[in-house]
Amino acid sequence: MTGTGTIAKRELAAYFRAPAGWLIIALYTLLSGMVFSIYILRTGSPASMRDFFAVSGALLMPVVPAIAMRLFADEIRGGTLEALLTAPVSPGSIVLGKFFGAMGFLTCMFLPTLVYVATLFRVANTTPDPGPVLCGYLCLYLVGAAYLSIGTLASSLTGNSTLAFMVSLFTILGLLFAAAPADLAPAPVRSVLYAIAIPPRVGDFARGVIDLANVAYFGGITVFCLLAATCALELKRWG
Amino acid sequence: MSFELQPGQIAGLLGPNGAGKTTTIRMIAGYLLPDAGKVLVAGYDTASHPVIARQSLGYLPEHTPLYTEMRVGEYLSYRAKLYRVPSDVRKRAVDWAATRCWLGDVLKRRIGTLSKGYRQRVGLAAALLHNPKVLILDEPTNGLDPTQIRETRQLIRELATDRTMLICSHILPEVERLCQRVLIIAGGQLRADGSPAELTRSGGSRYFVQAREGRAGEAEHITKLWASLPFVAEVTSRQAGDKPTQSVGWLEWTILARAGSPDLREQIASAASQQGVLLRELRAQAPTLEGVFMDIMDKAGEVTTDPEAAPKGTEA
Repeated sequence: MTGTGTIAKRELAAYFRAPAGWLIIALYTLLSGMVFSIYILRTGSPASMRDFFAVSGALLMPVVPAIAMRLFADEIRGGTLEALLTAPVSPGSIVLGKFFGAMGFLTCMFLPTLVYVATLFRVANTTPDPGPVLCGYLCLYLVGAAYLSIGTLASSLTGNSTLAFMVSLFTILGLLFAAAPADLAPAPVRSVLYAIAIPPRVGDFARGVIDLANVAYFGGITVFCLLAATCALELKRWG
Repeated sequence: MSFELQPGQIAGLLGPNGAGKTTTIRMIAGYLLPDAGKVLVAGYDTASHPVIARQSLGYLPEHTPLYTEMRVGEYLSYRAKLYRVPSDVRKRAVDWAATRCWLGDVLKRRIGTLSKGYRQRVGLAAALLHNPKVLILDEPTNGLDPTQIRETRQLIRELATDRTMLICSHILPEVERLCQRVLIIAGGQLRADGSPAELTRSGGSRYFVQAREGRAGEAEHITKLWASLPFVAEVTSRQAGDKPTQSVGWLEWTILARAGSPDLREQIASAASQQGVLLRELRAQAPTLEGVFMDIMDKAGEVTTDPEAAPKGTEA
């Protein structure tokens, strides 16, 4: 996996070289901060970050595809993919490098929200339980990784980053609302729809429950999409 | 298609657009895998040992794709890391490549703000960083000014002393001056392979003749006369001169001689005087690589081949 770190570092730096990266962080911090100050930092409300995580999770839906869309689409359109694929690195290392670089950016986006946590611990009358907070961040990471892998796959399939954004956004929306038509569907399909739906799994995390099945679900999506993106890169060699 | 390139030799790949030049080069560089056949780079199969084969190779793709948001120094350092240049010599490798490609004064500039010529040099420097045994350059002097073209040619010659080089270009005189070996491809097939001198010798001289057309039908008679001469391969005729009023009655013929034929001017002149044809101009042109190239393209055009035909085996 040589080259992964090099590519990840370049990728992370690339986000901060363009104004878009700073803008995404600013908007995310602003919106999650508004939720925090309006709903959580209110006299009489419970000392819990639950609403913050709910809104932060929802914000990932449009934000992560926007982060992921340029990963490969820009390289395909600009021709730099040729320079990358002729370097002595495997397609797997390239995909992982891009993914970790974008995960690094996601971390930079979450970092400012630690200020809210610190504020809550400081001003709350009763010391909040750190368990659900840690659980909430774990959930944000897992959901973020899954969304990001979907975006990486979409980006590896096209040289058009807008198309990559739309494809990953609609895939994520599909997973979010998979359970909605379930009651109309026949039994075997219904259980599949319930199994692939995201909301019940996020709900478990919000209650502070780490179910291995839920971790495996998000991990599974991530691994599957990254492998598929690697295959997509390998296929480009066949013209 | 099958060819092998030797170290210390600069080979030029020539061909019209769509001939398969870039496809061939991309297969050697490992960007595309051949449907059939093999590519060996420095002895390593690009299909079974892709990483080590690619590490032995420096590649400047067509149009020089670069990350425009990066600074020149950062980009070179990034490419050096990707090619696993050890960290203790990385800085020296970057400095060396930057100096060789005259980038010393723009290392801190963003690539996006550079002119086309500078970008071309950044791409060239990136291909040199890891001191590869094999260098493949697709249009290396594209976008450079005449001074830079001369310097780049000099650089390529120096780099070739202990390396295998393949240069893809559509500028015929450049290939003629730079390369010890020329490969001409068309329709995905190798049409000619040899040194520029050998290839040029394989073509015939051309003779340009302006002669008087007296009565109707004489033009055909004169064409037949030229065609009947020994060593003549092909005769074509057209209206002489740019301004028809100055050249009423005069026609111009182009006579293509067979390869290796002696000077035909005497024969042409004496045949004309014997037949009472009035000559106004008789000019010989020695065979050129361009003429040979055009002849090969004409022949390739007659025997149309499958443009999708995949190159078979290439070795570098």
